[in-house]
Amino acid sequence: MSISDPNSSNLISPVAVWSQVDASHAQVSLSGAVNVYSLAGVWSDVRKQQNQWLEQGSTQAHSLIFDASKVSSLDGSAFAFLIDMQEAQNKAGGQFDIQGLDPKYQPLLREFDPINKLFPVPTVKQKRSFVVSTGMAAQNLMDDARGLVTFTGHLSADLVWSIRNIRQVRWGDFVNAAVEAGIAALPIVGLVAFLIGVILSFQAAIGMEQFGAVSFVGPLAALGIVREMGPLITAILLAGRSSAAFAAEIGTMTVNSEVDALVTGGLSPIRFLVVPRVLAGILVAPILTLFADAVSIFSSMLTMQIYGIPFINFYNGMLAAVGIEDVLSGLVKATLFGVVVSAMGCLRGMQTGTGAAAVGISATRAVVSSIVMIVLVDGIFAYISYRTGF
Amino acid sequence: MDALDKAIDVQNLTVGYGSNVLLQNLNFSVNNGEIFVILGGSGCGKSSLLKNLFGLYQPLAGDVLIEGQNITTAQGTERQKIMTSFGVMYQQGALFGSMNLLDNVTLFMEEYTQLTRDQMNLLARCKLELVGLLPYETYMPSEISGGMQKRAAIARAMALDPKILFLDEPSAGLDPITSADLDSTILDLSKNLGFTFVIVSHELASIYSIADKVIMLDKDAKGIIAEGDPKVLRDSSKDPRVHQFFNRIMSKDAA
Repeated sequence: MSISDPNSSNLISPVAVWSQVDASHAQVSLSGAVNVYSLAGVWSDVRKQQNQWLEQGSTQAHSLIFDASKVSSLDGSAFAFLIDMQEAQNKAGGQFDIQGLDPKYQPLLREFDPINKLFPVPTVKQKRSFVVSTGMAAQNLMDDARGLVTFTGHLSADLVWSIRNIRQVRWGDFVNAAVEAGIAALPIVGLVAFLIGVILSFQAAIGMEQFGAVSFVGPLAALGIVREMGPLITAILLAGRSSAAFAAEIGTMTVNSEVDALVTGGLSPIRFLVVPRVLAGILVAPILTLFADAVSIFSSMLTMQIYGIPFINFYNGMLAAVGIEDVLSGLVKATLFGVVVSAMGCLRGMQTGTGAAAVGISATRAVVSSIVMIVLVDGIFAYISYRTGF
Repeated sequence: MDALDKAIDVQNLTVGYGSNVLLQNLNFSVNNGEIFVILGGSGCGKSSLLKNLFGLYQPLAGDVLIEGQNITTAQGTERQKIMTSFGVMYQQGALFGSMNLLDNVTLFMEEYTQLTRDQMNLLARCKLELVGLLPYETYMPSEISGGMQKRAAIARAMALDPKILFLDEPSAGLDPITSADLDSTILDLSKNLGFTFVIVSHELASIYSIADKVIMLDKDAKGIIAEGDPKVLRDSSKDPRVHQFFNRIMSKDAA
């Protein structure tokens, strides 16, 4: 026996032939190898002819004979075909008889009795009204906010606990997370910071040149970098790299019930999984920000060289404009970004649903929420700076 | 149909990963319509052997012929054609999580047949009915139990009515009744539709009731240590390892 070729079987005579004896008698004859490939097309043709025949003269009984005596082999699709025809007969109140079916197929055919269960009544999904969907959206938003508040509380409590029980913190996980989020991120942070420095000073120089104020570009760019651009680009890169990674990692653990295993083992998943990663974020974000500041300012210096500003002039101008408190302000902000980004990644990871797709959704949500939170924290910080002058 | 035709012919097959050889120089064949069970203790390479048989992994040496065609050397469309001639149920089910059960079953039909949507759905319902999951056709894989996922995976493996079905531990994790129902479905499909089954299993009860032929693998021997009818092996094998396995004797008692 060999596998019937899916393509060649269509070329020979059809495996099912419809023949009508008179208005109330018809027959379907199967022949050859009836399988999922050879039935394609034939199935629809025969059913169409059956329907036309059933529609004619609805008063008399329609008797259909399903002749399987010339079949060489059958597979499951032949049963489906048979069942489809039988169901149509039943619906029309007609008769259906099977002839010449090899008795060995009978037990399988009986598995499908009664056949009407294979034809479920299609249920129409009720459309949600505008009010209901708005309410549900609001409810989701509130649940999300509640989840965030609860998580923040748990995390704060566990962070305090970690400080008091410093030896019990999972320092191995902390180091791994810090290396992965920090050292591994140096090249990309360096590249983006360098380009931002170049672009920032170029753009500024183009405008300032018209007023002959090119010499002020250095201080302007430096101040912008240490207060705003350095922390911001670092945080956004961390959100894209590490927040998503944390969410995917913890999300996979959630899907695999590893988080449940921690809970049933009496361990707090937040202490076990989230605290080391948030601590890593706290350590890594300001260091990366310092690095980004340095690279950006250096690239800005190189750019201003084109406009004839020597390094020393740039340097002096920068010292006059940028104080240590500006750098510190940027670093404090970066630390907050680090907390927010790593915590959002972990939270979205813990909120993962089931299935492979859920992990992807969690990673996406982690990046989106992180960036939203970065902007929010930045706004709050800007307001505080404005009021306090820090 | 020539009953002696070989569905699968394994020649000098060596299974392993890199320098780690699990099984060496295997030679056996599976006849058409046969229920063939691969046995052996944990870690002896049963699942790896299975993955070599259906071409997921490349063997270290040797050939696997499926319906006379060599899957180890086949490429491109030739390989794809061999691939559609069998169905596979993975140990964990491996259902597509983003689709409901019905769509899981119809996916391969969409690719390989010209049936209409209604016809595919009816066919898929028949498959689900065979494994007892018809009421769950609209459920997502994550909404049903592990045993149900396995049965749905068998339904998916049968989607194109392949002549050969590879099942990796189909009855593990199923309750005795469901497991027995599954056995009778396997027997029906094999005896009536002429399906060939290659099954990795540990369930002795199931093996006795369905297997036509078993091979038993051993980790230390790196090969087949017993071959034949499971009941005969149980009653008359002289090999202590085989005797112990088929009679469920604890290691400390066997010594």
